[in-house]
Amino acid sequence: MSGYRLERGGLIKRERRLGFTFDGKPYHGCEGDTLASALIANGVKLVARSFKYHRPRGILTASSAEPNALVELREGGRKEANTRMTMVELYDGLVARSQNRWPSLYFDIGALNQLAAPIFVAGFYYKTFMWPPAFWEKFYEPIIRKAAGLGRATHEPDPDRYEKAYAHCDVLVIGGGPTGLMAALTAGRSGARVVLADEGPMFGGSLLSEIEEIDATNGLEWAQEVLGELASLPEVTLKPRTTIFGWYDDNVFGAIERVADHKIAPQPYEPRQRYWRIHAKRAILATGAEERPLVFGGNDKPGVMLASAVRSYVNRYAVAPGRTGVVFTNNDSGYRTARDLRAKGVRVAAVFDSRKNAAVPDAGGVEVMMGALITGVDGGLGVKSVSFDRGRGEEHIDCDFVAMSGGFNPNVQLACQRGAKPLWNEALQAFVPPDNGSALVAAGAAKGSMLVSECLREGAQKGAQAANDTGFHCKAAALPLTRDDSYSITPLWWVKESTSKAFVDFQNDVTAKDIPLTAREGYRHIELTKRYTTLGMATDGGRTSNINGVGILAEATGRTIAEVGTTTYRPYYTPVSFGAFAGPFKGLHFQPVRKTPLHEWAQEQGAVFVETGLWMRSSWFPRPGEMDWLETVIREVKATRGGAGLCDVSTLGKIDVQGPDAAEFLNRVYCNGWNTLEIGKARYGLMLREDGIVFDDGTTSRLSEHHFFMTTTTANAARVMSHLEFCHQVLWPELDVQYVSVTEQWAQMAIAGPNARACLQKICTDIVLNDQSFPYLAAKELTILGNVPARLFRISFSGEHAYELSVPADYGNMAARALMHAGAEFGITPYGVEALSVMRIEKGHVAGGELNGTTTAVDLGLGRMMSTKKDYIGRMMAQREGLIRPDREVVVGVRPVSKSDRLLAGAHIVARGDKPSMETDQGYVSSVAFSPMLDMWVGLALCKRGRERHGEVVQLFDGLRDIHIEVELCDPVHFDKENKRLYA
Amino acid sequence: MPETSPQVGLERFLPLKQHLRQGRYGALLHEGPGVRLSIRHPLSIVTIIAGKEKGPALSARFEAEYGIAAPNPRRMVKGNALTLQWCADQQYYAVSENRAESELYGELKSKLKGLASLSDQSHGRVVITVAGPAARAVLAKGSGVDFHPREFPVSSAVPTQMAHVGVHVAAPAEDTFELSLFRGFSEHFWEWLTEQAQEFGYEVV
Repeated sequence: MSGYRLERGGLIKRERRLGFTFDGKPYHGCEGDTLASALIANGVKLVARSFKYHRPRGILTASSAEPNALVELREGGRKEANTRMTMVELYDGLVARSQNRWPSLYFDIGALNQLAAPIFVAGFYYKTFMWPPAFWEKFYEPIIRKAAGLGRATHEPDPDRYEKAYAHCDVLVIGGGPTGLMAALTAGRSGARVVLADEGPMFGGSLLSEIEEIDATNGLEWAQEVLGELASLPEVTLKPRTTIFGWYDDNVFGAIERVADHKIAPQPYEPRQRYWRIHAKRAILATGAEERPLVFGGNDKPGVMLASAVRSYVNRYAVAPGRTGVVFTNNDSGYRTARDLRAKGVRVAAVFDSRKNAAVPDAGGVEVMMGALITGVDGGLGVKSVSFDRGRGEEHIDCDFVAMSGGFNPNVQLACQRGAKPLWNEALQAFVPPDNGSALVAAGAAKGSMLVSECLREGAQKGAQAANDTGFHCKAAALPLTRDDSYSITPLWWVKESTSKAFVDFQNDVTAKDIPLTAREGYRHIELTKRYTTLGMATDGGRTSNINGVGILAEATGRTIAEVGTTTYRPYYTPVSFGAFAGPFKGLHFQPVRKTPLHEWAQEQGAVFVETGLWMRSSWFPRPGEMDWLETVIREVKATRGGAGLCDVSTLGKIDVQGPDAAEFLNRVYCNGWNTLEIGKARYGLMLREDGIVFDDGTTSRLSEHHFFMTTTTANAARVMSHLEFCHQVLWPELDVQYVSVTEQWAQMAIAGPNARACLQKICTDIVLNDQSFPYLAAKELTILGNVPARLFRISFSGEHAYELSVPADYGNMAARALMHAGAEFGITPYGVEALSVMRIEKGHVAGGELNGTTTAVDLGLGRMMSTKKDYIGRMMAQREGLIRPDREVVVGVRPVSKSDRLLAGAHIVARGDKPSMETDQGYVSSVAFSPMLDMWVGLALCKRGRERHGEVVQLFDGLRDIHIEVELCDPVHFDKENKRLYA
Repeated sequence: MPETSPQVGLERFLPLKQHLRQGRYGALLHEGPGVRLSIRHPLSIVTIIAGKEKGPALSARFEAEYGIAAPNPRRMVKGNALTLQWCADQQYYAVSENRAESELYGELKSKLKGLASLSDQSHGRVVITVAGPAARAVLAKGSGVDFHPREFPVSSAVPTQMAHVGVHVAAPAEDTFELSLFRGFSEHFWEWLTEQAQEFGYEVV
């Protein structure tokens, strides 16, 4: 034996030596090792420090349930904290560090916490840090925060890619042990689409770790044969390294595939992990069972391991956990460990069986002590000996590892994630899955069937049933022959005779004594016990601790385990990384980027873009020499009001509304009337929500008798479309109306300013534009540039003589370039959404700041639009007392008293002489702009009784930026009150 | 600022133009690229929505004019001069190549008069063709639709979502899928699609 590596056996490739470091020290392992088995092979027992007491900890399991052996794996941007070394496949160059210790794993100052253990009992943070109250924020909380957590996350960006994907199958088999293999094979042979997933890199489950005999060969060879056949079936998908972590409505399962976690770095184009949503018609839970620890003094010391983990290490990984072991068990399976150890040449000093009256199974020649309990473990950083009691007083025996078995918990988690509680089985002393109907059925050890013959039979049975349910036909096939062990158990929840701390939850440092204490303090319900003690709340999900906790609580409160029950099962079965949740949707791709059909034109013009919802909109077009955005915007406004401006308004929502009842449909969704709108005319429309609050606005044009072209605000485009669908499908299905989004079909541009018409005329070749042929609010389909179809509307947001021109999107850039070319002699200037906003504020037009989901049409000064001649969405509710109160905040203009003061949106309005407070608050500024035309800041505000108070000077209070100025309330129309320019 | 004469350049501008560079990308696999990506452009697309209770009459008119009945839900049918793809209840896309501007829209307007409402979408949508042995695996990274041939045979057509973008997927031929989406999302979508295709190797044609 070299180190602790056995001479022979195991599923490792000895010739493939892999180098790795742990806490900076170099070691070697073999291909097929986990980090845990490789460290055991090198004789490393102390691998971690516990959370609260910083107790030395070793490796407890060989599975995904590991609570102790957590490390920081990898370095730099790839560093992952709290990684279970039992799940880490060894690769060459692996780097791991222990965590939650200082200055080192072997000498950890934090272990002094153990001296203060009396204050760290259950619920300590509810009790200890209460007084004096002033200490909480400055002293207690920072200390607790610093102590919280185990490993440290990296601050560097993750260099790897993560993907998302969907899968569909007739039968999902969860777990690739004997049960899962048999189920997948049976269902797969029928031609059903089968997905077989296993969290490990190899299929076989317990057959990888146990000595079994199936069909006169060993279990492993049988598994290889089954896998070979499965791989040959075209509709069977094998998914190793894939954990099914959650079960959701409609039989959807969440899964995480660790595509490249077993490599030092992913291959080019390979994702690190893939997050799957699996839609399964039927699913079979073949997740096996997890062994429970026994709760006795010192059961957390490095070298105390689950008995099944010991078998896994000797049989699968060919490593011995030590030189001399003892077994402590309350059931038959512990004997198997003694036999397997002996067969591998590892000395076993004794089997302690807590049962007094049980048929003694074959212990392979090891001394068996019935009715014997381990009461303590000696050794600081690893087991040196155990003290035990077989009714002759305290005795000692030397050993350097302990294999313990407290029975088995079927892995019922997924079956309970949708609300059903597991059922207590007295004979097994375990919770078994509830009946969930046929969508998800358990089989094998996951159902509490502890014998291999039962696993194979149930796998075949459930696999056939699932395939038959989904329309396939399974032929009966002979079951493989097996040699079974027996299994019986007598519960032992806690060795109360223990001489030192006995742990229930290893990761959260919950001891056996914490649980009766919690019950005495009144937290008798298991959900309360859990939260008060933190039992089962660590990253391991309490897979090794929950049921022991339930057992101890039942004893402490004189109830049965069935009465105590379990806590609530929720996803995730094992931890899932955040990278997998984000998938490819990060950075620039966090949400879709939407570009307008004028994007390339705007780029040519030097636009600075701004994200507006998903859209990239041109916000302004700086010219060389301009110092800041304000200078640019001022130039754009002046050029537009002085000559002509061109603005991309393609982001407006556009909806074709058609059909014989289109006008009536609009009548009902808008608060103003539409029956009288002539063909070839546009009208401003206002939509209310059902509750009477303003929803959206825009212009809608009548292109023909039964064809309207609706525009919405950019922000509400999708919501308006959904609203129309709801109204038609649910409220008025009798209307003969059709509607479809044409937002993306049309590039739309606003041409505004005194020279707008002259610019347009040069490209509108088939119409002479004047006030007769094309008056204010005209809307026509025509062609431009000879043969490009277009829609032209004489509407204005800027207050100028203005048009909006729509052309099919692929012509957008070309049309804008043509307009720039045509308008060059008139000084046409591109302007962005900032200048657009400045001009609408100068004109007192309401927009997003005012249509903010709290204002009524009357608040906005649009009350006269609310028709009295018809019914419409929001009409009744708009008349509610609170919505027609005379002292509501209504739209008003604001101007600084001192012309040089700058206005800021969000500032609150307070009457002169009042002290700013909730009581004296009279409203707030909703939109501001520097007006180039008035050479001062102007704004719009929502102010109580604002319309009656034009001319009143009030205070503006901005507590955030500590600004106090005086402003005058005024007409919201700051510029061109007579609308002369609109008709010019 | 480039000078563009209004008299020239009446050709349609292809969205994604800057992104479409022919060649092989991603993993260079021995068996060749897993998917081929191409754009159908220019294309004529018209949304057809049957009028109230006009569904059967509309289908009969399709038969009379184009030799095909309206497709059943989740299906598409190829006719003489156009393809009809189901996209919602009583709602279809008519798709056709090699038509002059608005010609298909005009033609359908006159042929389906009184039976349906029509909207030209030719410029509003971009159609990306994903073809090849890995096409299904690429699509499975974006959509919850089951693209297995048993569930999504040739001539299927459904609306779905990929990468947070609404996409209409049709299967015109074996291992061939057409993804139709709003043009404004096309760059974002292309970047996502090509990233998902990398591991299989892809060719832009």
